[in-house]
Amino acid sequence: MADSDYFYDGDGAMESLPASPEVTYNWVDITSDFFKYIQDLKLGELLHDGHLFGLFEAMSAIEMMDPKMDAGMLCNRGNPKPLNFPQAVACGKLKIDDLEPSELIGIIDATMACIVSWLEGHSLAQTVFTNLYLHQPHSIVNKTLKAYCIAVYKLLDCIRDCINKALVFEEEDFLPMSYGYRLGSNPQMGSTYDASLEVSEQKCIAMLREQEEDLNKKARSFDDDDANNLWLALAARIRFTRMIYQALLVITKRDSQSGADCVALLNGCSEMMKIIIKTAGKGTQPVENSDSPNPMGFEPMINQRLLPPTFPRYTRIKPRAEALQYFDELVTRLRHAWKITSCTNFHTALDFFMDFSRQRSCILSRSALQLLYLSPSPASTASSAMAAPGQPRPHHPFVEILRESIKSFVNPPALTPKSPAGCTPQARELVENFLVRCVRPFAVLLQVCGHNRARQRDKLALLLDEFAALQEEAESVDALVGGGVVGGTGAGRSCFGTWLLYHVLRVMIAYLLAGLELELYSVHEYHYIFWYLYEFLYGWLVSALGRAEALSGEAAPRDTKRGARRHKKRARPHAREGLMCQVLQNMCGGYYKALVAFKLQGKIRQPACAFDSEAVRYKHRFAPLYENPVILYLGGCKHFQQARTVLETITTPDQEVTDLLKVAKTNFVVLKLLAGGHKRDSTAPPEFDFSVHRHFPIIKLV
Amino acid sequence: MNFRIEMTDGRVLIGVFLCTDRDANVILGACSEYLKSNDGETEEPRVLGLVMVPGRHIVSIKIDDTMDTTSQKYYYEE
Repeated sequence: MADSDYFYDGDGAMESLPASPEVTYNWVDITSDFFKYIQDLKLGELLHDGHLFGLFEAMSAIEMMDPKMDAGMLCNRGNPKPLNFPQAVACGKLKIDDLEPSELIGIIDATMACIVSWLEGHSLAQTVFTNLYLHQPHSIVNKTLKAYCIAVYKLLDCIRDCINKALVFEEEDFLPMSYGYRLGSNPQMGSTYDASLEVSEQKCIAMLREQEEDLNKKARSFDDDDANNLWLALAARIRFTRMIYQALLVITKRDSQSGADCVALLNGCSEMMKIIIKTAGKGTQPVENSDSPNPMGFEPMINQRLLPPTFPRYTRIKPRAEALQYFDELVTRLRHAWKITSCTNFHTALDFFMDFSRQRSCILSRSALQLLYLSPSPASTASSAMAAPGQPRPHHPFVEILRESIKSFVNPPALTPKSPAGCTPQARELVENFLVRCVRPFAVLLQVCGHNRARQRDKLALLLDEFAALQEEAESVDALVGGGVVGGTGAGRSCFGTWLLYHVLRVMIAYLLAGLELELYSVHEYHYIFWYLYEFLYGWLVSALGRAEALSGEAAPRDTKRGARRHKKRARPHAREGLMCQVLQNMCGGYYKALVAFKLQGKIRQPACAFDSEAVRYKHRFAPLYENPVILYLGGCKHFQQARTVLETITTPDQEVTDLLKVAKTNFVVLKLLAGGHKRDSTAPPEFDFSVHRHFPIIKLV
Repeated sequence: MNFRIEMTDGRVLIGVFLCTDRDANVILGACSEYLKSNDGETEEPRVLGLVMVPGRHIVSIKIDDTMDTTSQKYYYEE
């Protein structure tokens, strides 16, 4: 469009007649005038009304009549207005009584396909709520269908609750919007909420149970084999719905009164799914080339006008066979996720989370895993971790999990009940504070593992910042409680530091590997990615594991004889993990050397250097690992501290030594302040004050 | 100034006129979409926000005559 911003203040065509104070519109046709006068505009010239509008707004407008942007076009096409529930019932298109079992099976299977489509990230309005029966479940006469429809409401509620609690979804995973659909009030009906139509969990389960029994009775009363199959197939569907609902209730509300054994329920679901898949052909099937997932009961366009004015996303409902397969696998995934409840050790649990994520599980099973491990969820544990200053320390069950994790990893004397190091109230306080500070980053780490694979990398980078701050704290705890141990080797005992370092390294490795998985690196970059993994991260991980073994072993021999024997049995608890690290380290080394050789022989295409710089790329790839000012400040701090310690050993200090000591001491404090976040948001440059020493300035913050 | 634009497919858009060009492509702000009603019943509009209506799809344009002149003046002077 033109860049000539010509403001047209309106001529006769635009001027309106004197206004009359009416509420309603008074439309005056200006079509012919409008089309006549716009001919005065030059090509590309824009006529604005007022000054509130620019080209930017022009670009963000939705273009009408463009099928890609205009969702409203779809509802208008052909124009047979979709019938709503009462209309469809009135004209006989929707049976609410005397349904054949095959019709019921068709409706249920199609609804399951809609639920799967919803779980794959489509909107509820365009999937499950295209089922007209769900618009007025209480008006359905057929008891089986009524119970099923009410149960679907409860099931959707429960699924949404589970996913919302776990908080591991992004917009591409799941749309939590329900467009006003609620049991007892539906936008299509224009009805307001009627509390008397709400059904409790217990009532819903009881209704389904009753239907199960009825259907089984019916199945028995028919001798005909085929018909027998149909009633049984229907009973299996109702039974599945009840059991998956109960199982999800147990997972989502750990205090739920449904009082059922989740494992048994999920096993039952798997059994039922076998029957459902086998009998999928018994129900009415969707008409070929139709958008409707079932011939009766579904109106794909019914909610089109509820959609937001974004680009229309055309929702194709998952084909039935695939949807049933999805449910079957979902149950298997939930059964697998349940195993987390027997992971007592945090390390095993973390491995389980990472492994679960690698299988690219669906949003519901990922959410269930979160809730099963920590109640209410890692997300809420993380957000409630910090107590307001002055308040008593919040108590988290997660603190105990982390305490056990440290104990079994490095067995620090400070956590042994009768150790001298754990006795002083000050040391105990320090350790407890550290553990509480660990809650948030570690809970977030679990939460990150629940996110979809593509989102994890960025979240890991953010997490590294939090771990960096924690590392400092771990070291100061070690300095205070580790040093004074009887038989300890002083500086060598960095129990808490080792434990934390181990986790930081794992996060770093996961971050770099995620880049490979997401295909973010170009081949000519591979060599330094692998070099870094080989040369540093895996190497450090191996030594961290080695140190952990040494530390936990150090504490053990002081036990009684029986303890010593036990120590022998669990001689090298991390042996396997250490070996795996060595394996991976060697793999990376192999790639690295091969890649460098490829590069030397010109086998790998390099980008033209004019547009590329390896330094820039390297910095970009490793930024979250390094570009952390806190780490750098702390590093600097240590140097000044070291300088100061050495300076203080000089017995007869001259002026030079005193000056340097003053500079080192001051800079140590300044960097310490900076590391703690002092003036973090200030962009004022620091001053370098050479007044104390000619070469070595004091850093000053202004 | 409120515009009421009828499009070739019968839908009616009501919104604040913002901008046009010589091909009669019109941009409306705070726009609502009304479906063609055969039986005269008015249906709940769908809120669209900012839209661009291509000139070739415009059937008729009407302006709202009930606008308060003082507020209009203020709008221009600003």
